[in-house]
Amino acid sequence: MTHMTRRDFLSGSAASFAGGAGVLGLLNQNKAWAADTAGYKALVCVFLFGGMDHADTVFPFDEPSYDILDDVRGGLLNNYSGDASRDRDNLLPINPNNSAAFGTRRFALSPQMPELHSLFESGELAIVGNVGPLIEPTNRQSFDERSVELPPRLFSHNDQQSTWMALGVEGSRLGWGGQFADAAIASDATANALFTSISTNGSTVFLAGNSSQAFAASTRGGGLDLNITQQRFLLGGNSRFDPQRAAIEAYYDTSDFGAAGTMRRDFNRAISGGIANIRSFNEASDNIVPFTTTFPDSNLGGQLQLVAETIEARDALQVSRQVFFVGIGGFDTHSNQADRLPGLQTQISQAIGAFRNAMVERGLWNDVTLFTASDFGRTTIDNGDGTDHGWGGHHFVTGGSVTGRRILGDIPTADITSSNYTRTSGRLIPSVSVEQYAATLGSWFGLNNDELLAALPNLTRFSNSNLGFV
Amino acid sequence: MAVLKQTFFAVALAALTTVACSGGDGGGTTTPPAGSPPPTGSAPPPGSPPPPVSSATMLETSDEVARLLLQGSFGGDIEIIQSMVGTDATTWVSDEFRKPCTRFIQDVFAMRDSDGDLSGRPYSDLYWDTLMTADDQLCQRMAFALSQILVISDNALGGDQLAVAHYQDILIRNALGNYRELLSEVTYSPAMAKFLTYFRNRKSDPRRGRMPDENYARELLQLFTIGVVELNMDGTSRLGPLGAEIETFDNTDITGLARVFTGLAYIGDGFRDNSNPDREFQPLQMYDEEHSELDKVFLGTTIPAGTGGDESIERALDAIFDHPNVPPFIARQLIQRFTASNPSPGYVERVATAFANGSYEAPNGVAFGDNRRGDLQATIAAILLDTEALQAANATSELDGKIREPVLKFLQWVRAFNVTGIDADSEGRLRDTSRTNDRLAQHPFRAPSVFNFYRPGFQAPGTESGDAGLTTPEFQIINEGSSLGYINFMTDFVFDRTGGSDDPERYLPDYATEIALANNAQALVAHLNLLLTGNAMTENEISAVENAVSALTISDEDRDLRQRVIVAITLIVSGPAYAVLR
Repeated sequence: MTHMTRRDFLSGSAASFAGGAGVLGLLNQNKAWAADTAGYKALVCVFLFGGMDHADTVFPFDEPSYDILDDVRGGLLNNYSGDASRDRDNLLPINPNNSAAFGTRRFALSPQMPELHSLFESGELAIVGNVGPLIEPTNRQSFDERSVELPPRLFSHNDQQSTWMALGVEGSRLGWGGQFADAAIASDATANALFTSISTNGSTVFLAGNSSQAFAASTRGGGLDLNITQQRFLLGGNSRFDPQRAAIEAYYDTSDFGAAGTMRRDFNRAISGGIANIRSFNEASDNIVPFTTTFPDSNLGGQLQLVAETIEARDALQVSRQVFFVGIGGFDTHSNQADRLPGLQTQISQAIGAFRNAMVERGLWNDVTLFTASDFGRTTIDNGDGTDHGWGGHHFVTGGSVTGRRILGDIPTADITSSNYTRTSGRLIPSVSVEQYAATLGSWFGLNNDELLAALPNLTRFSNSNLGFV
Repeated sequence: MAVLKQTFFAVALAALTTVACSGGDGGGTTTPPAGSPPPTGSAPPPGSPPPPVSSATMLETSDEVARLLLQGSFGGDIEIIQSMVGTDATTWVSDEFRKPCTRFIQDVFAMRDSDGDLSGRPYSDLYWDTLMTADDQLCQRMAFALSQILVISDNALGGDQLAVAHYQDILIRNALGNYRELLSEVTYSPAMAKFLTYFRNRKSDPRRGRMPDENYARELLQLFTIGVVELNMDGTSRLGPLGAEIETFDNTDITGLARVFTGLAYIGDGFRDNSNPDREFQPLQMYDEEHSELDKVFLGTTIPAGTGGDESIERALDAIFDHPNVPPFIARQLIQRFTASNPSPGYVERVATAFANGSYEAPNGVAFGDNRRGDLQATIAAILLDTEALQAANATSELDGKIREPVLKFLQWVRAFNVTGIDADSEGRLRDTSRTNDRLAQHPFRAPSVFNFYRPGFQAPGTESGDAGLTTPEFQIINEGSSLGYINFMTDFVFDRTGGSDDPERYLPDYATEIALANNAQALVAHLNLLLTGNAMTENEISAVENAVSALTISDEDRDLRQRVIVAITLIVSGPAYAVLR
């Protein structure tokens, strides 16, 4: 064990890392180690805003378990019909390699997710069951008695989004994606900090770090520039307008007009920096060879296409590690869930399937790990035609390095009287913490133990800091 | 088609109706000096002497006038700015309160086809037109501000155009009224009920395990009234014995309150009745057979089992509205919409006190409000007439006020240059300004969710303001793409590239005053600095704009003087002095 190189340890030792505290102790003796930034690796967070209904995504498939769900949720399930029917024989059954861990219980995916289903079956996708924010291991009794420290403002959208992304309620300042990027930047003197973390969904605390400042990439692709100077007809094509063009550029180049107020200075920098950043991004990504893979014409498809193109431009962008944030909304299905969720599931499955094909096309799939995240899971009991805010939920992790065709953690049955659930409406109490989920991704990404603990302060409260899915 | 639209537009504009604001009539009442006779009415009788001018609220310079207009209106032109020098800000506020609020819901109704349906999004077009042209600027600013607190989004209400129009009308009618009454109207509005999914929300069914939808119960508390942690009157968090924030509610409050918002559906003969042609713009009706008969326990209040639906809602709203958080929670967010992104605790407390008491007395003794909790005239008067809003700040001041949202920045250009040919229905760029990379990243009534475009507590990562702990909500939608998108959007309007070839008279700015100054770069920029920023530009920014103006030597006078003007305007509206109101 002590003879392992750092790289061996970090890249190939999911099983041994999973040993927990003992291994963490070993790593603590080697504080000089820094993030492994050899080769190229990208983490892609797909955030499903609104709270994805895990129970309408990963289904129980053995008859007794399916019947329990049908009993609790029959009203909602009956709202589905046709291709979206939740009848047992319309679901997509999965065959995990670790099925023995679940006894006679079997599982299936929503019929709208054939691409994710085949990724699971081919060993490229894992399901992590019942993940959610936790400060320390929590069960129903300790939840009821408040004898454990609980994440504040459970069930609140903005706060739980923030907690998933930055381990604290709205207003938190450092996201774990940003801190992972920080570690990569600190370990690679040649890294371009600007393009190490990239959002295709505007500002996000997930990518906020100390040196990492997320670049907000445009889904409309290159060509976005200052029209007033770049479209020559606006000022006039004749060269007599060139001095004015230059003076306008000089105005937009100025990042500090000497304003006294912090907000004016911040705004000033944001505008001139934003223009400069877009130009260098466009320049770097202008010459990539287009993918032969066709991305679906959807919001998520467009964002993941931009991620794929950005990864393809990695050398020109001067990065060896990248963290991406991608997001779509619409998952807050309090009503009309049967009308709204299937289309979103199709969008997820098709877009991720295309992204995988594009990465395979360029031989990059082993260097990319994509994972889902969401505000929370939803109530197992429905409200007639939708579901309400929950806590734990099930998530997908996919990539060429993922130990797929496995279910990590558990997919509890819908028996809401069991201790897996809070006492009202069947909200899952997470059995895997977001920090465990993040730590597993972070160690694949190349972070050392100190860096993981710095980004994930409650990690040591859990016995297992690597779930072994990648 | 173009002809039809133009004809229609003329009719629609002619039909823009005005109806007096509901709510308190306290605006403009003067607190009498001791010994004077009692006041005879809310508005001073004709010919009565004006209220005394206070030095605190006196608009001594054109800078101060420009600033007040940026805070309390969608902006003014140079004549308005100059005409108000030497007047009192209190008078402006009182005058605004006397103006009837412009409503346009009748125009939306008139556009329905024979099936009662609407095509396009006329409520959105008429909303733009109203913001640009209405004389009741403070009322419209307040309605727009409220639309960012009591948020609905037409993204999620695509098939409910009349309901959205009705909701806009509720905010406009109550903009200078009372927040408690507004909450009732909002709760019974088809638009909010559909947006937050309590439309046809049914009581629980223990047999089937069904529970009431919790969506509105949660967001009503979290976003519309009290927020998530207990507050002091100055908007800071109350701390418990261990120094921790105190949460205002937990999930049992939500499940208890969710029972209140059951049983609401369209007006009609039954819970499922869709036949009433007015159903989208009439208050929802309570169907007690679908309303929870269980007790409703939340925030220490118990509504006993068996209480009817309408009574339950009124009692619940009363109980919530009495929560001590409501005044500071709403006051701080309203301040952020008008004058300061990061108001001081003292400022929040003064405005919250006006909200709580329903009254505010200006420095010159003029009293606002009807003394009922939630009075919005008292509240907005307290916001605009506070020393923190009015105190003179110059270009070298460390103080910042408000980062202005993109919609306000665009509308100011419209009003500063007396733009004519206003007709959003004919302008594709106004159809969806929420697009980031080529529009404004913001569109009225079209936020991504009930959490609006940005959050009141947002602190921007990687900024000086963020490091200093300042809240800067609007910074949440500033990024690379939106910066360029905004500049390019404004460039199209400033350069008058809007309207089609068959329709060249749309959004036509009047730059005559500016063109007359354009031979002299210093004079032109000095004029624009006042008009657009209230003289907030720094010397360096002034020089940079002057350079871009004089870089074009005049050869073709008609063309080049105009180009100098539009280049100067494009730069200034892109810059920090225009974006951040001090």
